Amino acid sequence: MKIFIDPPNSLILFDLVERFGHEPLGAMAPIQERIDMTEMDMPPMNVTLDDVIKGLKYAGIEVPSGIRGRLALWGPLIEEADAAIIMLDPPFNFGCVGCERSNEMVRYMIRRRGIPSLTVTYPEDEEEAKSVVGQIKEFLEGLK
Amino acid sequence: MSEERETRIFMISPNSMMTPDQLVREIHAMGKGVTAKETCYGTLVEGSRELVREVLAAVREKHPYDIYSKVRAYPTGDPRRCRAQHGTRPGYSQLEAEWEALPLIQHGIICSERGEAFETPKEKDKLPPEEFKKICEAFQ
Repeated sequence: MKIFIDPPNSLILFDLVERFGHEPLGAMAPIQERIDMTEMDMPPMNVTLDDVIKGLKYAGIEVPSGIRGRLALWGPLIEEADAAIIMLDPPFNFGCVGCERSNEMVRYMIRRRGIPSLTVTYPEDEEEAKSVVGQIKEFLEGLK
Repeated sequence: MSEERETRIFMISPNSMMTPDQLVREIHAMGKGVTAKETCYGTLVEGSRELVREVLAAVREKHPYDIYSKVRAYPTGDPRRCRAQHGTRPGYSQLEAEWEALPLIQHGIICSERGEAFETPKEKDKLPPEEFKKICEAFQ
């Protein structure tokens, strides 16, 4: 099954989803598509005009362009996903995943689609890590 | 996504005894015909998707808790990202933060394989209006 991961470029979530036998949907695939197919200069920093129009499907015209640009990449992935895993409070919540409004919008879109989703918090110690990995494994095995 | 090319990051956990050099040599020794580029955190592997997946499966089988992997959008040595050509590295802070957390994830994976019980955090309930009123009144 196709699992949308949030943060969409997380190494930990991407690896865990693959380990437990599913296909992770992350930010890397649409970025690679833009590098290989449209030969854009610097995705995801640059987007095409089509991307901006696509983004309008997920966020209104008054929404900042950064959010629309992000949603143009992630929105189609959420539509394609069969389930989602959301990891809250990552310490690296800045840079390309640092827009909290985009993240809120992504969580809203997942809820609105009604697909099975798991929300975990980024682990700080071994006990929390045991719980996070255990929950992810249980969730992914339950999808089969 | 392109079916032709897949570039993958292979990241070595900080509590592993492996070095990026050892990992690159192992991948070359498999003779799969993929490109392996040594980096500070592990290696980048590039080739056709099928071959890269074969390398990934072999590496995971041999080092299940030492190596973690994800797809990378940019090709190996791309001038927009390659440090040798002063490329920008916008995702590097995140990679570093996740690299630090890999020993925790390793512990979690080992525990889940052992079938150890884990605590599921309680879901947050909605705040009842009476309680909210009390909180508001406490600050008046």
